[in-house]
Amino acid sequence: MSRALRVGIGTAVAIAALALPHALTVPYFLHLTILACIWTVLAQGQNLVQGFSGYVSIAAGGFMAIGAYASALLSVKAGWPVWTSMALAPFVAAAFALVVGYPSLRVKGHYFAIVTLAYNLVIVTVLNNYESFTGGEAGMPNIQRPAALVLGGLQLSFAGREGYYYLVLLAAAAATAGGALVLHSRVGRVLIAIRQNEMVVDALGVAAWRYKLFAFVASGFLAGLAGALYAHFIGFLNPEPFGTDQSMNAILAVTLGGSGTLLGPIVGAFLVVTLPEYLRVADTYRLVAYGLLLVLATIFMPRGIVPMVSRGFQGMATRLAAALRPRPDPTP
Amino acid sequence: MTRIDEGLVARCTAVLAGLALCATAHAAQKELVIGVSDALTGPGAVYGLPQSNAVRMAVDDTNAKGGIKVGQDVYKLRLVAYDDKANPTEATNSVRKLIDRDGAQYLLGFCCSGPTSAVASFIGRENVTMLVGNAAERTITAQGIPNLFRTRPPADFTGSAAGAFVAKRGVKTIAVIGSLDVSFYSQYLEAFEREFTRTGGKILAKETFGLKDRDMTPQLTKVRALNPEALLVLGYVEPCAFVYRQAVELGMKMPRYGFTSGSEEQFLKVATSEQMEGVWDLRPTELTVSALGEKANAYVAEYTKRFGTPPSPSSPYAYDQFYVLKHAIEKAGSVDPKKVQDSIRSGGIPPEAIMRYLPVGSAMFDENGQAYTTNGAFQWQKGKWVYVSDLPSDPVAYSKYLRSLRK
Repeated sequence: MSRALRVGIGTAVAIAALALPHALTVPYFLHLTILACIWTVLAQGQNLVQGFSGYVSIAAGGFMAIGAYASALLSVKAGWPVWTSMALAPFVAAAFALVVGYPSLRVKGHYFAIVTLAYNLVIVTVLNNYESFTGGEAGMPNIQRPAALVLGGLQLSFAGREGYYYLVLLAAAAATAGGALVLHSRVGRVLIAIRQNEMVVDALGVAAWRYKLFAFVASGFLAGLAGALYAHFIGFLNPEPFGTDQSMNAILAVTLGGSGTLLGPIVGAFLVVTLPEYLRVADTYRLVAYGLLLVLATIFMPRGIVPMVSRGFQGMATRLAAALRPRPDPTP
Repeated sequence: MTRIDEGLVARCTAVLAGLALCATAHAAQKELVIGVSDALTGPGAVYGLPQSNAVRMAVDDTNAKGGIKVGQDVYKLRLVAYDDKANPTEATNSVRKLIDRDGAQYLLGFCCSGPTSAVASFIGRENVTMLVGNAAERTITAQGIPNLFRTRPPADFTGSAAGAFVAKRGVKTIAVIGSLDVSFYSQYLEAFEREFTRTGGKILAKETFGLKDRDMTPQLTKVRALNPEALLVLGYVEPCAFVYRQAVELGMKMPRYGFTSGSEEQFLKVATSEQMEGVWDLRPTELTVSALGEKANAYVAEYTKRFGTPPSPSSPYAYDQFYVLKHAIEKAGSVDPKKVQDSIRSGGIPPEAIMRYLPVGSAMFDENGQAYTTNGAFQWQKGKWVYVSDLPSDPVAYSKYLRSLRK
């Protein structure tokens, strides 16, 4: 795809994203889009570990919980401004990721997945049982939205869904841009090399564990940001949404969209949020239908949707170019 | 001069009048969307699905009788029910869909506390009326949200009555096994402990199990070694049934008290009637025909006929919600949610209500939007729950306490 075409498509998508709240007649769809943007932030973080370096972490839900609770506790219990709490929450989650990632990344493959699964379980158990601090299963109500901002005489309110949409859109765009920066940097190339063959990376004298730790901490940071955005959007927190189901959904979003690609987590996040909602027409069978769709998608699109669509477009472009190419005149 | 055919005029007038009447009748027939958000799948479905069915039954009955008459208009009801999987995010999504897309201004159901609390956190900003059923977490009505009402009393309202009852039966030491990380069970226990220890009782152990756990023998073995005089079991039906069954299998013969609200059919899926014999359930006076009378009998028969399975004991909370709403709309003479809320707040107990409510003053709901039922002691005797006695309950005092929690 030429650079001009890519810029054109990117601009069109950006305009469509900015105009979306005015185009939607039913606010419920804006609600789902906000959740999908939050899940995009989470999935971009998961992609750093799973897609780039090939390590499957089952702790995304746990780190999201840490970000969510950090922001909620700082704003509700400590009385800090919501903006400050939201800004600090990703750093709290990243600090946790650093502490647990250092020992965890000494193990590989399935063992790493099991260790991170255990972290997720521990985090949820602590949140459930440390009632005096977190509210336990009963949860924390009345988590406020961030205050309005005044920029150049223009007041931006986040109390409604429209304002909040722009906030989460910005966060999703920033997470994607961050992923792109990493992917096209030396760090990204080392992470991909680790995914291909970690022993070779070690043999070349590169400290692979540092790069893996970086990916894990950055992933925790983005999960924490997603958690903070979620907490102040929903307005209520209990540990239920942060269990291993959530971590599996993050893995699913990356796998379904396209592991190791930049667009894959976006597509995957939107599918993970919207598909179960659209399948509500199937009533109590919706989760069966959802599971069936996922099985079929995994069988027929093992590399994910984005790589498959991309290959399809490339094939079409090649055939189109061949068809348009002037054929040599057979006459002498 | 042209003669006017009087017969023709009369016929034309009659036709026109008929058409006008048809047009009026057509214009007056309107539709009212009733939204239900509840756990229709997953562990919470044992409470959520019967609640949703109960509302469906009440809606169908009302439609069959012509609908709800509001002034000159008659409203036919359309029920839209969504599954929230007992998950806060799912509940937020389903309620947003009900309000934004389906245009529901009346929301019923809500069996589980987590998702209900999530919806309660934003429902105050919406022009809708929300009626909560089985979700018993105290804070749901402690916040004083003006458009939220709950038919089931909070868990600790029942817990303190249960504590006094067990102490009065001469039990001095008790061990607790339950889903203690679920808030409304921990609130029940907190109130139980306060009353039980007031008269010198002692809780020897508090053992926890998860909602999906099925093997409780480790907790029971530990408890057995402490030799308590009785066992208190708190949790969803299935895990509690496993506790009762495995206690018998381990040879534990002490009295077993519980707080589960499970039906006979639900328990018998896991434990035999012999294993359940003598178990106490200390809970709001829910669906037991001997406790609630003929109206409950008719409800059970009708529900069983329609859905092919008996209702859960807590399902009438949702059935009663609907009739609270119906009478409030009729009394308000309007479907404006604000007028209907005022009507609910000042209204009495609907005649169709299955549960035995204790009014606060003359109204069914107190200033917190909370209704209270009597609490009862039920015992498993020869294959079924038998209502033994009421538990001492004071809704006025609890209502004041609930109001005092508001920030």
